[in-house]
Amino acid sequence: MSRELFLGRLRTGLAGLPPETIDDYVADYAAHFDEGVAAGRSEADVMAGLGDPGRLARELKAEAGLKRWETERNPSSAATAIFGLLGLGAIDVLIILPILLPVLGVILGFAITSVVGFGAGAFVFVLGPLAGAIRDIGAAMLAGLGVMAGSVSVGALTALVTVGLVNALVWYGRLHLKLLKPALEAQEVRS
Amino acid sequence: MPEAVQVQLKRGVLELCVLALLSRADAYAYDIAARLAAAIDMGEGTIYPLMRRMQSDGLVDTYLVESSSGPPRKYYRLTPAGRNSLAAQKAEWVSFSVAVGEILGDEK
Repeated sequence: MSRELFLGRLRTGLAGLPPETIDDYVADYAAHFDEGVAAGRSEADVMAGLGDPGRLARELKAEAGLKRWETERNPSSAATAIFGLLGLGAIDVLIILPILLPVLGVILGFAITSVVGFGAGAFVFVLGPLAGAIRDIGAAMLAGLGVMAGSVSVGALTALVTVGLVNALVWYGRLHLKLLKPALEAQEVRS
Repeated sequence: MPEAVQVQLKRGVLELCVLALLSRADAYAYDIAARLAAAIDMGEGTIYPLMRRMQSDGLVDTYLVESSSGPPRKYYRLTPAGRNSLAAQKAEWVSFSVAVGEILGDEK
């Protein structure tokens, strides 16, 4: 494998990150080659010292994903962080899925309840007074508002729980990245 | 000693070693990687993700220095937070290794 192929594989592995971040990371390793060759080592020797570019890319990407989740809390960054850790084998899918799926189901249930509840509240708020099912117009509007407010608070609680859950996963993944992962690497080297 | 345990031990103290090297003098990544690879037999490639993480954690920052040969070099230096972290990790390491040493000594 040549130096160009190594950097090419690294670049491919980093796909999905912002282009300037990829350039930045790849430049680190290009500089490493320059320094190594300047110090009198062969490219093959430098490459052997660096290890597999695909694995390095996964590690860099997982780290970038975790950082993004820490700065911006949204579904896309949560997905990036979790998939990054999955890619590294830091979170074992088989262990985590049976726990995660029911929890995700419950969260989804609460999210849907919140949306439907809000819709129902709005329905009562707007149509209640017109339909005349409830005599007092004010009471109908207040009831509608109450249902909507309740739904919003259920939605907000659901969001909080979700953020907490992703944080817990990220924490768990990081811990394993530090402790379990090197053991896996050592096995790969041996085999 | 099983290989896996050895790798874990090294990985755990890698950040501490980098902090200690940088507390003596600012350095560029290749230099850090080469010195650690020689001293504790670490894969050189692992230093770059580590430096990224330490930088985003605010333990180190970087500046460019013109080099006589080739493009400018990116030097790393400790931030005040990095110095604090070094002091804390060093104290932990020393008390831990003393404790382990005592236990191992008793087994003889």
